[in-house]
Amino acid sequence: MARFSLVPKDREFFNLFEEAGANIMHAAQLLTKLMKTWPDAGGLGREILICEQEGDRITHDIIHRLNSTSVTPIDREDIYALASALDDVVDFTEEAADFMGLYNIEAPMEQAQQLTRVLEDSCRNIAQALARLRGMKELNHYFVEVNRLENEGDRITREALASLFRNGIDPMMVIRWKDIFERLEHAIDACEHVANILEGIIVKHA
Amino acid sequence: METVEGRLGQLSTLEEAIAAPAAIRLAVVDADSGFTQVLLKRVSAVGWRADLLPAPPPVEELNAMRLHAVVIDVAQLGSEAWNYLGRLCGSSSAQVVIVCTGASSVAQRVRGLRLGADDWISKPCHPEEVLARVEASVRARHAGGVSAPDPVVAGELEIRPDMFEAFVGGRALGLTRRELELLQLLASQSGRVIPRERIYERVWGYSMAHGDRSVDVFVRKLRRKLEGASPGWRYLHTHFGVGYRFDPQEAGSGSSPGPSASLPPA
Repeated sequence: MARFSLVPKDREFFNLFEEAGANIMHAAQLLTKLMKTWPDAGGLGREILICEQEGDRITHDIIHRLNSTSVTPIDREDIYALASALDDVVDFTEEAADFMGLYNIEAPMEQAQQLTRVLEDSCRNIAQALARLRGMKELNHYFVEVNRLENEGDRITREALASLFRNGIDPMMVIRWKDIFERLEHAIDACEHVANILEGIIVKHA
Repeated sequence: METVEGRLGQLSTLEEAIAAPAAIRLAVVDADSGFTQVLLKRVSAVGWRADLLPAPPPVEELNAMRLHAVVIDVAQLGSEAWNYLGRLCGSSSAQVVIVCTGASSVAQRVRGLRLGADDWISKPCHPEEVLARVEASVRARHAGGVSAPDPVVAGELEIRPDMFEAFVGGRALGLTRRELELLQLLASQSGRVIPRERIYERVWGYSMAHGDRSVDVFVRKLRRKLEGASPGWRYLHTHFGVGYRFDPQEAGSGSSPGPSASLPPA
């Protein structure tokens, strides 16, 4: 049975979240490509920076709309938390890309390439869930998958860090890559955080 | 005469300048923190680079660090001292080994030197003297050793280590230092597959982290430059999951990784 509301609700939030989902997925795809082709990545770092700025713009639009809307389709605190968490994903993605240039990385590491693929998969699931958020149902499998990918990301990060701390490794390499692995892990964790917030929203509206 | 540059300024000939390394890279294997602190301060002041290793690492790790010198206190090795010193001295002709330890007998010093140590310094000693002896030993090693390796000609390629460059038909490839070192290493063992880890150890001077793609990236860069300048030849061959082999083959002559029949005599 369809649910009716006596007050009109601003559906524009769903469009903005869908836009944010597409944006994190695009940033993650660019990062995968950058990590695969490094050091011949061309202008990919710049493109990812543009995604980060686009993420800021969407977050700003959401917050602005939140402040100027009396009745929202989702609880206010959930909208705010979701917008912030999505912004974190693209921020960490951009930071990881930025560090590649900033730290003058000579060549990628396989584990970093694996982590960017995990991040891209997580972002794709988030983006698909956000595109279907209006319906508020049949989203659970996306969250399960994001959680599984987060565990996979943790495993790869642990192995990657262990490989850096073997005897005889260049200490500069350890410093550089430890930072980059951590940023990639934070980006994947941020995806899980988004999934948890979305799951909470769905439960409230079930 | 505080800096290395200052000392180099007083050298009269190019040969002398080449014989004395601008910045010596050494490892100090010593658990005596009071001594090492003073020594490392002095090392840093003269612009050298030193790694402090309170415990003796495996000899292979020291070799992989591509050092000019190892200063070691053998006393901390206990009964293993002679065995370790012998292996360290015998493992690499590139680095000098200076024993710097406490009170010792004539017999011990003679044994150490006969095992291959380049010098023996008794503590207490002044760090300036340690540095001077390290420098003297490194200088002697360089003077006694061969100068730059001979040029290598393979296919259309001529590698000139003395000029830090490689040429095809007289045109320089514009190799970076690392690319040249990589090419020299591969060409020095022409026809043989060198594992990635070994390449990394020799060219980068450290152990290779699992998953590091540096060797693959630099081989790709090198291959691009080689094949750009000499399109009719294939010089670098990939052995997936293992490493790389230098083996000049004419592009039309088939790609089978056969023996190095096309190589010029060494």
